[in-house]
Amino acid sequence: MTLEEAQGATEEEQQAQSKKGLKKQQKEAEKAAKKAEKQAKLAADQQSTEEDDFAKDRYGVPAMVQSQQKLDRVLVRIQDFTPEKADQLIWLRARVHTSRAKGKQCFLVLRQQQFNVQALVAVGDRASKQMVKFAANITKESIVDVEAFVRKVEQKIESCSQQDVELHIERIFVISQAEARLPLQLEDAVRPDGEGEEEGRATVNQDTKLDNRVIDLRTTTSQAIFRLQSGVCMLFRDTLTKKGFVEIQTPKIISAASEGGANVFTVSYFKTSAYLAQSPQLYKQMCICADFDKVFCVGPVFRAEDSNTHRHLTEFVGLDIEMAFSYHYHEVIDSITDTMVQIFKGLRDNFQTEIQMVNKQFPSEPFKFLEPTLRLEYTEGLAMLHEAGVEMGDEDDLSTPNEKLLGRLVKEKYDTDFYVLDKYPLAVRPFYTMPDPNNPKYSNSYDMFMRGEEILSGAQRVHDAQLLTDRAIHHQIDLEKIKSYIDSFRYGAPPHGGGGIGLERVCMLYLGLHNIRQTSMFPRDPKRLTP
Amino acid sequence: MPMYQVKPVCGSHMKTDLPTCMYKLPNVHAQQGDSSTAEHALQNGDVDPAVKALEARQDEIMRKLYDLKAAVEGLAKTVTTPDADLDLTVSSSLSSQSPTSTSTTFKGVTDLDKLLGKDLGALRDIVINANPAHPPLTLLVLHSVLCQRYRVLSTVHVHSSAASVPPQLLSCLGPRHADSYARQMFQLGFTLIWKDVPKLQMKFSVQNMCPVEGEANVARFLFKLLSPYPSDPAVATLVDSWVDMAFFQLAEGSAKERAAVLRALNAALGRSPWLAGPEFSLADIACYCCVLQGGPASSTPSNVQSWIKSCDNLGHFSPAKLFLK
Repeated sequence: MTLEEAQGATEEEQQAQSKKGLKKQQKEAEKAAKKAEKQAKLAADQQSTEEDDFAKDRYGVPAMVQSQQKLDRVLVRIQDFTPEKADQLIWLRARVHTSRAKGKQCFLVLRQQQFNVQALVAVGDRASKQMVKFAANITKESIVDVEAFVRKVEQKIESCSQQDVELHIERIFVISQAEARLPLQLEDAVRPDGEGEEEGRATVNQDTKLDNRVIDLRTTTSQAIFRLQSGVCMLFRDTLTKKGFVEIQTPKIISAASEGGANVFTVSYFKTSAYLAQSPQLYKQMCICADFDKVFCVGPVFRAEDSNTHRHLTEFVGLDIEMAFSYHYHEVIDSITDTMVQIFKGLRDNFQTEIQMVNKQFPSEPFKFLEPTLRLEYTEGLAMLHEAGVEMGDEDDLSTPNEKLLGRLVKEKYDTDFYVLDKYPLAVRPFYTMPDPNNPKYSNSYDMFMRGEEILSGAQRVHDAQLLTDRAIHHQIDLEKIKSYIDSFRYGAPPHGGGGIGLERVCMLYLGLHNIRQTSMFPRDPKRLTP
Repeated sequence: MPMYQVKPVCGSHMKTDLPTCMYKLPNVHAQQGDSSTAEHALQNGDVDPAVKALEARQDEIMRKLYDLKAAVEGLAKTVTTPDADLDLTVSSSLSSQSPTSTSTTFKGVTDLDKLLGKDLGALRDIVINANPAHPPLTLLVLHSVLCQRYRVLSTVHVHSSAASVPPQLLSCLGPRHADSYARQMFQLGFTLIWKDVPKLQMKFSVQNMCPVEGEANVARFLFKLLSPYPSDPAVATLVDSWVDMAFFQLAEGSAKERAAVLRALNAALGRSPWLAGPEFSLADIACYCCVLQGGPASSTPSNVQSWIKSCDNLGHFSPAKLFLK
């Protein structure tokens, strides 16, 4: 370029620059002006807030509770908030379920387990604007201590469990703050699947729920399920104790796999390895041979089955029963079925609130049963299946679809969700099952079904060492591995029988749920080891 | 009776020194072996065997007299009860149930396989759902008759929907059969479930039959297992109409309806010994149970009362009467 052109260019540039520069400067000036405005406003606000915050000591985040002092304060439970408590000043500790600001008021819903109540902070002579703002900004699921007046309301608050009262907050302190972003929202976790699809609202995936079990267990449905499960365990213990059973605890680290050996977990045991017990079978029987007569045991059971189904876990709680009988193994069946019926009755009579709560999210038919329990023979079951068109041999085992079909047929004819199928073919049962005395094709064994799914497998056990050895040889089992088992029957063993149920499966089937992970607090399956 | 005893004046074993210089004569008072025991005064309370024999004969005669009396009473009942060949109340109390006793009352041959479908090697179970507030007496009666005819496995269950059920309802089908652990050994199953149902219901073969509703219809089904309906359609219709009248008007009707039915019963029983002609039928069972359920028979007409007595004599209705007590 020539010098003149260059000069001309720079002049133009300068001119352009100055135009651009002007524009830029203008923009910057605008920005600065806006910023100054904002800052002035903030400053003004802050000044006003700082000026007017007369309620500063009535809210806030106090120091972490490290047991600094022992307060004599009585905290009232939300379920006790009824119109009788109107106009009382009380303290409570609860979680913030929701908080919503509306102008000069902030509505909070405070929750304790399945109960919740509406609470209100309003700008007035007790609460300042800053306090209301603070309340509105408390993150969900934080734990707060609240002092409030209980006030009656004229219109029922439909969305809360305590519908007749609300709290007018005097003081509110955050004891434990929850993070702002929660991995899942409780309302979504409780929403029934159908409703979620219809209204386009979110429901929570089961895996998400299981990964964040701590939050998922806070929902009303989960609380109800696990309270019911606790009830099942309690009824099981109480019923059996009344019948004269003794509770035992059996070892879970064992030296040899009892039932075949395919599905056991191995653990390293000092210089050798050991196995985790598949079932307390062996030890229950040894207790009977040790004259305990009637025993039961509640404990974990470990099955290394690589089944990813709706009803299999690798670790579950087993409720096992074993008893000596006088002349016929039906005495054992009667005892077990009576225990189950007492459990069902106890749940039906004492846990209706929990059952209804679960039904809100997972609707199902109430559980029906007969007393005394219906007992059908395997041949009858086969006849019913044949009638329905299923091709099955006399000595075949029932497949899962056939079990479900049979369950439906029995439900149609007898209207019961719980029944016993007796006299299974010998070929499909383990080697320690006592054969039928009159017909060698069959055995003295039985299965119990709830809603068409098997919950218990039991039998009269072989209590004679010689017969046991013969049966083991017939099943091609290495006698060396079960030597200690056979030895327990050499010193006088009474005729006995029993069976075991899975706690999670019984709960799942009683409530009509569809996945066993819903009834296991921290489930273990081939793909899940945490939490 | 022994006479009062006097102590012997002198001991019986007094030793006497007999003089040896006199000649001896045999002792007049000595015991003489066998012949004279009867003449001795009996001092030990022994009973004369002849008296024993006499007493035995008397007992025998009394026993025969009692037997004769019972037989005559039985005959008297049979004579007044039309159509019964033997007095079942006596026979049932004396000996165990024999299958032939009912074949005299229910004539006609029935084949379970034809009625209930092929025997698939498993127990054929009839399930009846009844409301404990309205126990079905007719079915209890038919059940006891069925038990006499076939090997029936009877069980009673209480459904979870029913509130507590009084114990007499739990034992209404009689004591548990000794072989009840082996279901295959029975020809027929009779399962009674006390349940909160609006109407009595029976289920048998879920695939082939819809449930049968109403006590009248279930009674007809069960009766056909015992003997076929009369082949004459007029008689069959008569039986059916009496059954329906029993269940709709006697059991569930107002007092006026009941009175009307009782009058009709009276008229019919004046003409024939049983309601449907010369033979005992389902109509009699149904009407008897419904009349009985209505309460004590103070105002029932005379024919009806004698008919009730005849029904009693037949002995089938004892479960119903036991139940109502």
